[in-house]
Amino acid sequence: MIKWICILYFVLYPLSLTFAGEEYTFDISEIEKKPYHFGGYAEFKPILLGLNKDAAFYKLKFYNRNEAGTIKEYDAALQLDASLEKDIAKIFIRTNTGYKNSYLGETQETVIYEGFLSLKPSSSVTINAGKKTLLWGKGYAWNPAAFVDRPKNPDDPELNIEGYIIAAADYIKSFDSPLKTFSFTPVIIPVYKHVNDNFGEPDKLNFAGKVYLLLYDTDIDFISLSDGSKTTRYGMDFSMNITANLEIHGEFAFINDYKKQFIDDKGNIFENRYNAKSYLIGTRYLTEHNDTFIFEYYRNGTGFTKNEMQNYFSFINNAYDSYLSSGGDTFIKRGLNITKGNYDRINPMRDYIYMRISRKDPFDILYFTPAVTAMSNINDGSFTLSPELLYTGITNLDLRFKTAFISGERVSEYRQKQNNYRIEFRVRYYF
Amino acid sequence: MKTIIIIIAFMLTAPMYAIDNTQLLKEIDRNLQPESYESYRKLINIEPDGSKKEYTLFFVKKGVDKVMALFLSPASENGRSMLRLGDNMWLYIPNVGKPIRLTSLQSVTGGLFNNADIMLLDYTVEYNVEKVEEKGNEYLLYLKAKTKTVAYDKVKLWADKNKKFPTKIECLTETDMLIKTLYFKDVKDFGGGVVRPSVIETISPLYKGYKSVMVFAKIKEKDFKDEVFTLTFMPNIESLR
Repeated sequence: MIKWICILYFVLYPLSLTFAGEEYTFDISEIEKKPYHFGGYAEFKPILLGLNKDAAFYKLKFYNRNEAGTIKEYDAALQLDASLEKDIAKIFIRTNTGYKNSYLGETQETVIYEGFLSLKPSSSVTINAGKKTLLWGKGYAWNPAAFVDRPKNPDDPELNIEGYIIAAADYIKSFDSPLKTFSFTPVIIPVYKHVNDNFGEPDKLNFAGKVYLLLYDTDIDFISLSDGSKTTRYGMDFSMNITANLEIHGEFAFINDYKKQFIDDKGNIFENRYNAKSYLIGTRYLTEHNDTFIFEYYRNGTGFTKNEMQNYFSFINNAYDSYLSSGGDTFIKRGLNITKGNYDRINPMRDYIYMRISRKDPFDILYFTPAVTAMSNINDGSFTLSPELLYTGITNLDLRFKTAFISGERVSEYRQKQNNYRIEFRVRYYF
Repeated sequence: MKTIIIIIAFMLTAPMYAIDNTQLLKEIDRNLQPESYESYRKLINIEPDGSKKEYTLFFVKKGVDKVMALFLSPASENGRSMLRLGDNMWLYIPNVGKPIRLTSLQSVTGGLFNNADIMLLDYTVEYNVEKVEEKGNEYLLYLKAKTKTVAYDKVKLWADKNKKFPTKIECLTETDMLIKTLYFKDVKDFGGGVVRPSVIETISPLYKGYKSVMVFAKIKEKDFKDEVFTLTFMPNIESLR
């Protein structure tokens, strides 16, 4: 008996060592630093869209086309990141190549999202010059105080967005006091022909700045943008943890002399100038069951009132009826002009609620995250509901199935969108 | 008179025990992590069927409550960084472009390690020692969270009496429910006087069959400027390697 125990011991002990060794290897070559980096992702996304032929935005976009009730779209993207680092200098570039095969045919576009030189003479100072995204603000779905960024898509807030060509610096100072960190970020944004020409009025040099404080346990930012291509703007935001599973944040923006253009149901265009105030308050809460709730209320001071939006929808419907009866598209084109960058903003009205509930690893399935996101327009009661399933269990591969449905009264923001529903499947591979 | 002397003696010695207990925890902290250092860590999440997912991180710490980590792999996580200053924790995702606040109970890697486990501070920062028992060759320290923002309300920490670093830790809720158990294994000499367990294995009764492992490499004492541990610096942590 003892002999058998000894034999088993000598057979199993080395096996257990091998197993342990295999399990916990740490190859040092994995962590060697290289002066260059290359990475990115490739993704493929087939989409099915259910069209709402009674909607104002459908009529505007498809007035001279006869589409079926559903349209298919095949999107693909290749995002490449590369960097080269030498001493205090680093060059970084991020490009995005998008391919779309839709009812309009095939399109392809490559955009440099970011491309800048970064100098870091000390741990307190960084100087950046080139195309860069700053992404200021603390909101998850919206950032009214992000004056030097393109608006992000609240339907997919974690997507990369294109930056602007800027020169910026960061100065950081830490303290052993209630004010733990102070940092200052001055930014210069030139707007000339072919340089940031969609930022605002051309031939201007714009100045922006952000002061960040970590005061006690609260992040606080003060933000400003000088008068130039856009009117003067001031903003602030904050974020803090209340408990180990509860965070709150807020953002406020004051836009001086904001110019709003709107249209009445007869096609007369008006302009109104006023000081707009936008703000956001939000929270992130994690339950014991690993459910994460993100809730945000957004007041868009630059948005349209319910009455202004209904007038717009009436005008588009009238313009479409006029096109059908006469074949003339003058009114439709007027509608298209006033829509661009104005009524077609992702959230063109005044008051919105965003809520996202996600559960990590339910049913003991690791790396599986089902979620549902609701975005509601409080002013007209319409909303969009987006359930999704995300699986990240295969290294470097994300699989996401996402749908979106809309609901609300007939003349309301979401019911007047081009699509009744949207179903998409995204496969993304990182390298 | 005898009673008074006993009472006075008790009053004088009780705080001394408390100080000793705190001092013991401080020693355990110091043996587990140098005050300021850099290291590399591999997190391995193992599922009941044996499948694994691995993450490699570069990790820096200064003082008792400043830590920062950078994800080096897999490619889907590369460039993400986490910062912890006391109770405050942030995640920087290059795609999102700005740091977002995290809570310590969340887990950016999935698996059994939550953010507080990955971004571990000195235990003395977050916990008071309620009592210490001697169990053979080990001390058993009963720790109680100082505030509600700490990830685990109670912690039972077994430490080797001679080497004074943990061998096992149980993380409990306020109602004494066991959340997870951490086993400290494979003591290794990392050089520069740093000798500590190189592997932490974690299991949880809430996730039967799952295991998460943290493997340490290249622990090196190093000092960093305070400005490194700031939100503004987060996108630049790679420059510290």
